[in-house]
Amino acid sequence: MEKSLENILVFVTNIKTETDKQKIMSPLDKNPAVLEWNIDQEDIDCVLRIVSETLSEEQIITLLNLHDFECKPLQ
Amino acid sequence: MRTRDTNKEEIVKQKAIEILVKLGIEGFGMNRLAKESGVSVATLYIYYTDKDDLIKKIGIEIGHSFFSEMGKDFSPTMPFKEGLRKQWENRARFALKYPLHVACWELLSHSSYRDYILEESLSDFKIIMNSFFKNAIAKKELLPVSVEVFWSIAYGPLYSLLRFENEGKNFGGGPFKLTQTIADETFELVLKALTP
Repeated sequence: MEKSLENILVFVTNIKTETDKQKIMSPLDKNPAVLEWNIDQEDIDCVLRIVSETLSEEQIITLLNLHDFECKPLQ
Repeated sequence: MRTRDTNKEEIVKQKAIEILVKLGIEGFGMNRLAKESGVSVATLYIYYTDKDDLIKKIGIEIGHSFFSEMGKDFSPTMPFKEGLRKQWENRARFALKYPLHVACWELLSHSSYRDYILEESLSDFKIIMNSFFKNAIAKKELLPVSVEVFWSIAYGPLYSLLRFENEGKNFGGGPFKLTQTIADETFELVLKALTP
C-alpha cells in the first residue's frame, strides 16, 4: 500500500560522511516512531527522508540536534 | 492533506528521462531535475527516496511499457514468421513513438542499474519470448541456433534501421526514411537467414 505523503518528512542536513551516518543510525533505527529513513549523501544537501505517522518536523530536528547535526526542513 | 499530483509526477518522469539521455547518470541530479520540472526538491524526495530510487523506478517503468508494447497481439504459439513480424511491428512502433525512452533504456541497460531493472521488469516477457523461440525450433520453423545468434539476426537489422531513421540520415549524409518497403525487404532477408 502506498504511504500517505503526509507521513514523509524531508530535511537538509550536514550528515555528510559514513561516520556521520553511523552516529544517527542507532537513534533512528531504535525509534519505534520512525517507520523508514534514508539519507541521500550524494546530494549536496545530504537530504534526510523520514517516514513516520506520529513524529513532527520539530521532534526530528531536536533529535538530530541532540547528536550535533544541523537539520532543517527542505523547502 | 497533500495528494499525489499525477500530472506533476509525469512531468518529473519525462524530465528525468530527458536529463538522463542528455547528461548521463553522472550528470543527473535531484536539484537539476527539480529545477527543470518546476517542482521543489522536497517534492522529489517525497516521491522518491533518493537518486538511485528514482532512476530504478524510471527504468522499471520504461521496461514495463516497452515489454507490454512488445507483447501486444503476440502469442508464443504463433507461426514463427507471423510472430517475428509482429515483434518487428511492436518494437518499431515503440521505438518510433518513444525515442527518448529507448535511448534512456539503452543507457540504463549498460549501467550498474541493469540487473535490478531487468529483474524487476523483464521476467514475464523473457518467458514468453523464450517459449516462442523454443516452439519455433520444435516446429522446425527456425534453425536450431543459440538465443544470442537468433536475437542478433532477428532484431539487429531492425535496430540498425531504426537508428538510421532516428538520425534521419543515410551513409552518404542524405535523408533516410524507414519505409514499409525497406522494412519488408530487410525482414525477408532476416527470414531467409533464420528459417530452414
